[in-house]
Amino acid sequence: MSCVNNIARRGFLLLLAVAPLLAAQQAPEKPILTVRGDLPSERTFTLEQLRAMPRASVETTEDGVAKRYEGVWLHEALAAAGAPMGDELRGKALAGYVLAVARDGYQVVFGLAEIDPVFREPGVLLADQVDGRPLFPYQGPLRLVVAGDKRGARSIRMLERLEVVRLRAE
Amino acid sequence: MPRLPQLCRIAACAMLGVALVAGTAQEPFVWDLPPGFPEPWVPADNPMTAAKVELGRRLFYDPRLSANRTQSCGSCHRQELAFTDGRARGLGSTGEEHPRGSMSLANVAYAPTLTWAHPTLDSLELQARVPLFGVDPVELGQAGREEALLEILRRSEPYPELLGVAFPSDAGPFSVERILDALACFERTILSGRSPYDRYHFGSDASAISPAAQRGEILFFSGEKAGCFQCHGGFNFSGPVRTAAQPDPPRLFHNTGLYNLPGTLSYPPPNTGIHAHTGRPEDVGKFRTPTLRNIAVTAPYMHDGSVATLEQAIEHYAAGGRHGDNPLKSRAIRRRELSPDEKRDLLEFLRSLTDQTLLTDPRWSDPWTARPKK
Repeated sequence: MSCVNNIARRGFLLLLAVAPLLAAQQAPEKPILTVRGDLPSERTFTLEQLRAMPRASVETTEDGVAKRYEGVWLHEALAAAGAPMGDELRGKALAGYVLAVARDGYQVVFGLAEIDPVFREPGVLLADQVDGRPLFPYQGPLRLVVAGDKRGARSIRMLERLEVVRLRAE
Repeated sequence: MPRLPQLCRIAACAMLGVALVAGTAQEPFVWDLPPGFPEPWVPADNPMTAAKVELGRRLFYDPRLSANRTQSCGSCHRQELAFTDGRARGLGSTGEEHPRGSMSLANVAYAPTLTWAHPTLDSLELQARVPLFGVDPVELGQAGREEALLEILRRSEPYPELLGVAFPSDAGPFSVERILDALACFERTILSGRSPYDRYHFGSDASAISPAAQRGEILFFSGEKAGCFQCHGGFNFSGPVRTAAQPDPPRLFHNTGLYNLPGTLSYPPPNTGIHAHTGRPEDVGKFRTPTLRNIAVTAPYMHDGSVATLEQAIEHYAAGGRHGDNPLKSRAIRRRELSPDEKRDLLEFLRSLTDQTLLTDPRWSDPWTARPKK
């Protein structure tokens, strides 16, 4: 009897120990980025979904210290959300822009052609890691890294929403 | 016959002594940089050496550097106060009050310019002349007494030996320039980057700072909220830094709306900011952004110590300046909607920047206390 109790107790403890892991595996991951606006439909991305896309990196220098940001190219995330990119970015689509909105309300704008490497390089990185580590809460979980900009003000931190605006309808 | 081995032994000891001394002088200097810190800029004509740093430390804490032997650099730059003095305004060796407060020397190696508001004073070698030989105000009071100062050092142990080791190629190393060089080398080693904040950021210790401090960090770096980073950005929380890789950063000065007196000079003279040097009306009230590292132990605040506490400093900026109607005020200084809880979070974040290593490390302590001077 005591043996059965012992086994039951051990089983219960084991369940307690693995429960959080099972919950983490089963719970759907929370979206960290919403892309909406003049698109076929609104699209959200979880961190897992972004990490499943082709990875890219940008090396930059902050205060004389080299930093390596990793993530995905912004144009690829936008294309995945249905925004006109690559061959589709022509004619009336060129009168389009993206409004990037941070968790604290900060906002910056990019013309669609500024983001697309068909028009301009280096591209804009949608970063989720720096130097191999997740971004700190004051930066992330997502930020943009605009490698070609001389000032950092458009490398928006705490990014949570992208709004695609097309000024001219097809 | 027994004398020969003894002579050999003496000669060997002498050679070893020379080798050790020479070794100290020739040893390449190795920076002990905190994690995430870049190598500071160093002038080409005064490279860092361990011997110069040691000499500079002796000089920094030696009251014989003041004419009346009452003060050293360390009198106004006390290690336990992050190399400030706790006073609103500095007090010179003759009792004359300085119009501005002593600035922290923590990470001063990275400062693009020195003192509160001097757009062209850009090396520690130049700056050290000001307290030594300045007359407006008198600090260490050595103006016109350069030769007397050098003579005192010539006659004082251990300077003849230390100067010879630090500047081995000089025929006569007792010069004002060499004293300034050594002081600058020591000051460049005063690096602060081992606070709880640094352990949180660079040491992967997620619990090194409190949840309140972590919330405060978000507010600090949010332009929509507190926006502190707009002036106090970068690893040193002081704006652009001067590094080996970036030797000529922008030299920024800000009017933070502390005063708005009627008339052309909206700040009380002589503290008119870089205007005192440029003469340009638009430069009135513009001062250098000090580092926020160790800010919790460097009260009172602002160039004239007119803000007593860190809480009051946060209120000053949340209100958009004590006299926010100054037309020359920096655009970053504007009213911020911050709740009492958010202000407390900011305060916690700022307190997380205190580096106990800086305040206690024997490398930067007074070397004379262990061996009193004769």
